[in-house]
Amino acid sequence: MKRLRMVVLFAITAVFLLAWAFPILWSVLNSFKTDRDALAYPPKLLFEPTLDAYRDVLFGSGSIIPNLVSSMIISVGTTIVTMALAIPAAYALARLRFYGKKFTGFYMLATQMLPPVGIIIPYYMVLRNIGWIDTYQGIILIYLSFSLPFAIWLLVSYFEDIPYEMEEAAYLDGASRMRTLWRIIIPQVRGGIAVTVVFVFLNAWNEFLFAVVLSGNTVRPVTIAMFNFVSVEQTLWAKLAAVSVLAMLPVVILGIVAQKHIVKGLTVGAVKGGGRR
Amino acid sequence: MLAGENTMTAGPAEIASSDFGRVLVQRERRFATLLLAPAFFALLLTTTFPLLFLVYTSVYRINLSMPFMNGFVGLENYKVLLADDRFWHSLIVSLVYTISTVLLQIVIGLALALFVMNMKRGQGWFRIIAILPVVLSPAVVGMIWRTFMLAPEFGIVDYLAITAGLGSKNWLGDPSLAMVSVIVIHTWQWTPFAFMVLLASLASLPEDIYEAARIDRASAWQRFRRITLPLLRPAIVMVIIMRTMVALTAFAAIFTVTGGGPGTATEILNLYAYRKSFTELSIGYGSALAVALLIVTIIISAILFAIRRSK
Repeated sequence: MKRLRMVVLFAITAVFLLAWAFPILWSVLNSFKTDRDALAYPPKLLFEPTLDAYRDVLFGSGSIIPNLVSSMIISVGTTIVTMALAIPAAYALARLRFYGKKFTGFYMLATQMLPPVGIIIPYYMVLRNIGWIDTYQGIILIYLSFSLPFAIWLLVSYFEDIPYEMEEAAYLDGASRMRTLWRIIIPQVRGGIAVTVVFVFLNAWNEFLFAVVLSGNTVRPVTIAMFNFVSVEQTLWAKLAAVSVLAMLPVVILGIVAQKHIVKGLTVGAVKGGGRR
Repeated sequence: MLAGENTMTAGPAEIASSDFGRVLVQRERRFATLLLAPAFFALLLTTTFPLLFLVYTSVYRINLSMPFMNGFVGLENYKVLLADDRFWHSLIVSLVYTISTVLLQIVIGLALALFVMNMKRGQGWFRIIAILPVVLSPAVVGMIWRTFMLAPEFGIVDYLAITAGLGSKNWLGDPSLAMVSVIVIHTWQWTPFAFMVLLASLASLPEDIYEAARIDRASAWQRFRRITLPLLRPAIVMVIIMRTMVALTAFAAIFTVTGGGPGTATEILNLYAYRKSFTELSIGYGSALAVALLIVTIIISAILFAIRRSK
């Protein structure tokens, strides 16, 4: 009886495991097919793998390399600006005493609750007037609306973990506050900064709503360019699969690299918000 | 201990040290302002200012395709909104989508976490595979499901349906099936999130309570009902809050799969606000819809936070 139950439970969990892995595995498989194999009915599990689809989407006409570059510029740019603003702010929130600290912390948390569509409508109107639609500065600026609160709150949790003694020792040696922050504190939170960088990059790479509104011929991330492979008339199956895999690759690698921190990265704001009030 | 230290420093030295202390506090404040100001202004610029501007545009008629008709209309947009069937429909679609996806995520995620927790081997596989859907772009997920999973005949789901004798279905073209499809896709992508968070908090539960319960011969169900569930409550409520906020503003995974269609069958309020503003170019009315979405979000989060605080 007990053994039977174990077998049933095992079967159920196996089904779920497969259900999660399958759509991703299936896209990967299809990306190594010819269009003919991808369109075979019934679907082919065994086939002769080829890199044709990758060659076509990378080096054929309508190459997606510019789109991958575009995604990369947006994500790297967002990460750099976000970290430059977030590291000092997080340190102040975690460590320093000042008026309005509670309010500032709450404000930075509350901004995360705004529906993105409510931000993009006015933003679009303003950018249109100053000619910033389809520019990197325009899109990176609006990405700060979600990356900055997130990065600040994640970093605060790491800054809070450093012992106070480190700073006190530095002050006693006569080091200035800025120097202490730069030389003593920041090296202590290198790990936390790396984790934050991973998540900020990941969120920027995956963003879609802002990109769909603000993209054009210059700024055209790969998530938007994917649409070229699906139209009412036909879907270019193998190529779409290859583009999907290329779009997934960086985030999957980052996700696996940061796997130990993923729960923390996903829940940071909520845990903090609950603890404080 | 602390009181002792205070009396130690009392006396003439106290005045000097408090002066010095005041200077230090002042410097600390100035330093904090310097560090915070850039991030604070960036957030004002990218969140608060757009919000104010949104409220402003929501009382105007702004249609980018007919600019000559633009002008101040007061609360007209909101009056139209209250009488707009498509608005109420999208609100219902939003609620159905949010409640069903969040419930499914919690139930499946918790059940799986309980299973996996008791597994002696193979936990690592779950931990790795659970990460994959969560880190993917909802736009890519939508594309994969729309084509490789749900396309008539070629999609695996449809193939399985045909093999099972159900026949080929129009998974994204039939209004109620399309709704089911977008709910399944969202649940597929985000259940691993609930699973990972709940598994982490299950692992942190104290072992000895279970020992005591076992000695008292509590059944597995009693242990779950009386011990696990109450202890997991904070984690479950947190997951519900986070997932609700995301589901309410879900966009990419519906936009790429059905575009809100067929017709308006899967058009959640978020998507309606987008379509009004950027497809029909009616920015003023779109703004009013976005304000309505904000109000709905605030009401729902107030309810959820009240639930969290109770008990």
